Amino acid sequence: MNRKVLKRIKRRDRIARYVITVGGMAIIFSVILILFLIARVAFPLFQGARTEMVTQFPLPSSTPAVPLVAAGLDDYREHPFVFDRDGVVRFYSPHEGPVATELRLQPPVPSARVRSVERFAGLSFGVLWDDGSQTLEQVHFTSSFDEHGKREQDQQVVRLASFPPPLSGTVKLSLVRVSEDGRQTQVTLLNDGSLLVRQHVESEDLFGNLSAESHEFALSGQPDEEIAALALSGGGNTLYAGTDQGTLLRWDLSEPGAAELRDRLPAFPDRRAITVLALVFGDVSLAVGDAKGGVSTWFPVRVNAEEEGKHLQRIHTLTSHKSAVKSIYPSLRDKSLVSMDVEGVLHLDHMTSERHLLSIETDTPLLLSSLSPDGRGLFAVDASGMAHLWEVHNPHPEVSLKTLFGKVWYEGYDAPAYMWQSSAATDDFEPKMSLTPLIFGTIKGTFYAMLFAVPLAILGAIYTSQFGNPRLRGIVKPAVEVMAAIPSVIIGFLAALWFAPLLEKSVPALFVSLAFVPLFLLLAIVAWQFICKYPLCKKLDRGFEFLLLAPVLVAAVFCAIQLGPVAESMFFGGNFQLWLFGETGTRYDARNNIIIAFALGFAVIPIIFTMAEDALSNVPPSLKAASLALGASRWQTVWRVILPSGSPGIFAGTMIGFGRAIGETMIVLMATGNTAIMDWSIFNGMRPLSSNIAVEIPEAPVDGSLYRVLFLSAVILFVMTFVLNTVAELVRQRLRNKYGRF
Amino acid sequence: MKHFWKKGEPFVWLTGAALSITLLMAAVLIVVVVVNGLGVFWPSRVVTATLQDGGAVMGEVVRSESVHEAEGERLQLKIGNRDLYGLDFRWVDESAISRLEYADDTLVLERMEYGNFYGRLVSLSSEALAVAAPGNPFSQLRQAHRHVMQQKTQLTKVDEELAVVSSRMARTQRREKSLLYKGRSASDPEFLELRQEHAALQHESEALMQRHAELAGELHAYSATFADVSGRERTMPLIELVRFYQPNSMSVFSKIQYYVVRLVELIFGSPRESNTEGGLFPAIFGTVMLIFVMSLFSFPLGVLAAIYLREYAREGLVVRMVRIAVNNLAGIPSIVYGIFGLAFFVYGIGGSIDRMFFPDQLPTPTYGTGGILWASLTLSLLTVPVVIVATEEALGAIPNGVREGSLALGATKFQTLTRILLPMASPGIMTGLILAMARAAGEVAPLMITGVVKIAPALPLDGTFPFLHLDRKFMHLGFHIYDIGFQSPNVEAAKPMVFVTTLLLVLIVLVMSSVAIYLRNKMKKRYTYGTF
Repeated sequence: MNRKVLKRIKRRDRIARYVITVGGMAIIFSVILILFLIARVAFPLFQGARTEMVTQFPLPSSTPAVPLVAAGLDDYREHPFVFDRDGVVRFYSPHEGPVATELRLQPPVPSARVRSVERFAGLSFGVLWDDGSQTLEQVHFTSSFDEHGKREQDQQVVRLASFPPPLSGTVKLSLVRVSEDGRQTQVTLLNDGSLLVRQHVESEDLFGNLSAESHEFALSGQPDEEIAALALSGGGNTLYAGTDQGTLLRWDLSEPGAAELRDRLPAFPDRRAITVLALVFGDVSLAVGDAKGGVSTWFPVRVNAEEEGKHLQRIHTLTSHKSAVKSIYPSLRDKSLVSMDVEGVLHLDHMTSERHLLSIETDTPLLLSSLSPDGRGLFAVDASGMAHLWEVHNPHPEVSLKTLFGKVWYEGYDAPAYMWQSSAATDDFEPKMSLTPLIFGTIKGTFYAMLFAVPLAILGAIYTSQFGNPRLRGIVKPAVEVMAAIPSVIIGFLAALWFAPLLEKSVPALFVSLAFVPLFLLLAIVAWQFICKYPLCKKLDRGFEFLLLAPVLVAAVFCAIQLGPVAESMFFGGNFQLWLFGETGTRYDARNNIIIAFALGFAVIPIIFTMAEDALSNVPPSLKAASLALGASRWQTVWRVILPSGSPGIFAGTMIGFGRAIGETMIVLMATGNTAIMDWSIFNGMRPLSSNIAVEIPEAPVDGSLYRVLFLSAVILFVMTFVLNTVAELVRQRLRNKYGRF
Repeated sequence: MKHFWKKGEPFVWLTGAALSITLLMAAVLIVVVVVNGLGVFWPSRVVTATLQDGGAVMGEVVRSESVHEAEGERLQLKIGNRDLYGLDFRWVDESAISRLEYADDTLVLERMEYGNFYGRLVSLSSEALAVAAPGNPFSQLRQAHRHVMQQKTQLTKVDEELAVVSSRMARTQRREKSLLYKGRSASDPEFLELRQEHAALQHESEALMQRHAELAGELHAYSATFADVSGRERTMPLIELVRFYQPNSMSVFSKIQYYVVRLVELIFGSPRESNTEGGLFPAIFGTVMLIFVMSLFSFPLGVLAAIYLREYAREGLVVRMVRIAVNNLAGIPSIVYGIFGLAFFVYGIGGSIDRMFFPDQLPTPTYGTGGILWASLTLSLLTVPVVIVATEEALGAIPNGVREGSLALGATKFQTLTRILLPMASPGIMTGLILAMARAAGEVAPLMITGVVKIAPALPLDGTFPFLHLDRKFMHLGFHIYDIGFQSPNVEAAKPMVFVTTLLLVLIVLVMSSVAIYLRNKMKKRYTYGTF
């Protein structure tokens, strides 16, 4: 042969070997990469928060130095600002050099100085002046764009309301709120310990006439202890107070002109002093800081079912500080809290997940701190007059292993619960992302489906491989394999829109048929003993039993359907669903677990059947022959010889069918009703992991917590099926080695 | 008898019963789909029921069931005329009906909007009468309608021109945008030129729109007045009518003709009334194209991987593990593949393509959103294991003697592979491919998050440059079933369409997998002397 040709052929062979090897390996590795990619998306859920120092600059102090009383930060983290005792608001722009814009607040009386400033809801500040009057100031940032598209910010301070000083007494602490409908509430704590409430309500009657009324009254019912902290909800409806003896008080101020003491309870068994109170975003939970450094959140809970009304109860305990808590600021974006102790250490915690996200400790203790309204910037001033500006990366504070898998006590609930409710209409909603009810749903649906599918598939496989006529087997097996190809969307559609309405009307018929099918079978077998004596029927017997039984089964189901209404009126008082609800309290859902058992079972039967049949028919015929030769009957042979040999294959098939049932999406999506409840009843639905992903992922913002939690549930599904399939595959490989085929 | 029990014969019967139940269930499924699906297009007779209270109802009898707490039966009628009654269906107690009749002149109109109309023809407008030869009113209506339909082609032509002009306008706008993005100012000559072009196109499109309005106005003059069962009259332009027939006086032959016409519309027509009526063409096209693009990826990759595993890789722990991994992948839930496709293809690769090649379009995504390419790639990942397993099985089924013979004759490994092994294994590989295609045709969950939509405005393949639009969203038969069965506003009215779609999908999938299984069994027989 020509040398050249030979060379070329050899070269081609080498190239082919190289290409195929590299290509094959690459394909296999890239396919295996899937898990890692999904897991990578889910992974950031468990990363903690971190801060990035944006800048650090000494505050240009005024001369003489005036003490600062509050700090704040805008959303772009560009203009931190401070309030000082003289009523001057100083805006810094650290990115463009420490130029400060100064705005002076108009004092209510000349020469009054600022006593304290309380920050709430965004950039609103309640300023208490030392003459006892109070003003409500709001800092406005207006953005504009110049012709180069560069953003410029302009600052303004707008006064929303002002309150004159009380007629008598010196003010110690005062809070003010303006609700959305214009209701103004001021609560003042006087030095003698009395609490004064002033309300100003403007209301509009049907004809559009405005009427205004003002109320002023003192609160009663507080214990003879010194009140150390106050908190007022955003609308001014609820007032909380904490004393130095650790007593928590709650008044309802929603009725203008009247107050009702709702709670008065010792917060801690050791009666430690309460130092700070603050309301968590959403105004449902109350954060309590105490003298021992503890931070806990509380909300009203119905203690027992008989009693009217709700009482405060400690719900979450967050990480403790080493010394007394000085201030608590809620985030305005989620349920996070920034707390600072007297030593100047700052903590960032999330209420629902009880995760401790951050601790910040600087060389000199921090005095003032503030989160930007979007929660992504943190500004603090320390004792040496140094200002710190951090960027906070805190993407998924609400997710922890505990919120994903454990019971969590959510706001407004009377007890901890497993709950999946990923979104709601309002921003201050607490996302409830427990995967437990979804995993439960998956297991429940799969369990009932397997209960239905496994016996049918395995018994059917035994019959087909061992007893069936070989010619029929050639038809039955491909038929079942074709059954496996029926798209799940079709099974789901028929289950939900054809089978579910049928079943809804005739549940008792299903129960009757459960009794009738075995009964009819028994009768048929007995009857056959007499019929089969006729020579004509003798041929039919062996290998065709299942054909003979088909009409019997049809007849049984038909009779059951006919007798269903009779049974319903006899046992269930004429209406099964009413009876069920009355007797057991279970509501009958149209799309329930019976439907799922049938539909999902139908989808996995072919898989189990095919593998079990393969395993059984690959048992060496010599075993069967030996058993039969020893005089065993055909059933004895199958039961004692064939089944034990084929059992690993049957097991593998069951595992793979199990895996398929776990991951099946369309059927459960269409036929379960998708309610995330945890109830073993077969008469209601569930929400499995797979359909949850399909339902929620189109609405999940990319890289948000929900998005990543859905990826985590995909990882869980992956791991579940991976384990099942690997077990099955290992068993199969052992079997293959044993019999040398499969 | 006792002997019979002792031998365990009842258990044999029990296993037989299990098989029986399984097969019966499958049969019931097929029968339900076929019966409900085939009957949809058959024109059923329209009944006029006179009620005891003097009222009358006209419609097709959908089903009857026994009344729950009283005697007798009640009928569900499809009464149509959604624009008049608001509801498509009505239950009527049989006891309330005094007379049932099937009037010959009952007319069923299939309309572009509001579903069917059941009633009688009252009169034709003068324009419509002018184009029809004198005769009975029904045949006049037919002639006038035919005339209108011919005229309508002109309207469609104008529409097509309009579409071309607007796509050109969109292109100039895109170029303007990209010029701006590149930092050109608004006084740049190139930019001004584009502006001019845009203005000219705008002018052209306005002229076309004017023409469209004129034509449509002319066509709307051809109208006819119909009355429902209670005599309420309604005048409708003929252009709004898709077709009409008198079911009670149709012969079997014309019914068959009607059936065929509807079948043709189903396969080649486009959907109407939020997919509950009309045809399935975009969905069929989308499904076929999806499968095609998917095969382009999964087939070569799967075969290559299988050849590597079976012919080139050395048997050992690694190969065993890889084989386990591949079998494992076949069992991973499809929704997991879907979510992977979303993160990796759509947001990962698609997002990068957008940033690199279409930055001027951002934040509107071009490839960074679901589309047929990403859905196909996701499905090809899903089906690669099927192809690998089938190909490996086919290669493994070839006796080693064949390989050794070839090598002994001096052929290289590659020659053996391409000349001997692959041809021999081709039926097996085909089987794998067909099974993969059948799986892809029926898979819906991963598509739902990678680009399938309820109504796609345009096909992924059309006459505008660059002809193949892999970034477009598409329609799919399986998703169609889910969508109209579960998310349409009028599920009851959509049911016939769901059954038809189901029947079509079942047929496609069953035929494909039957062929695959037949091929495989044939091949198994061929090599039964070998070991595998």
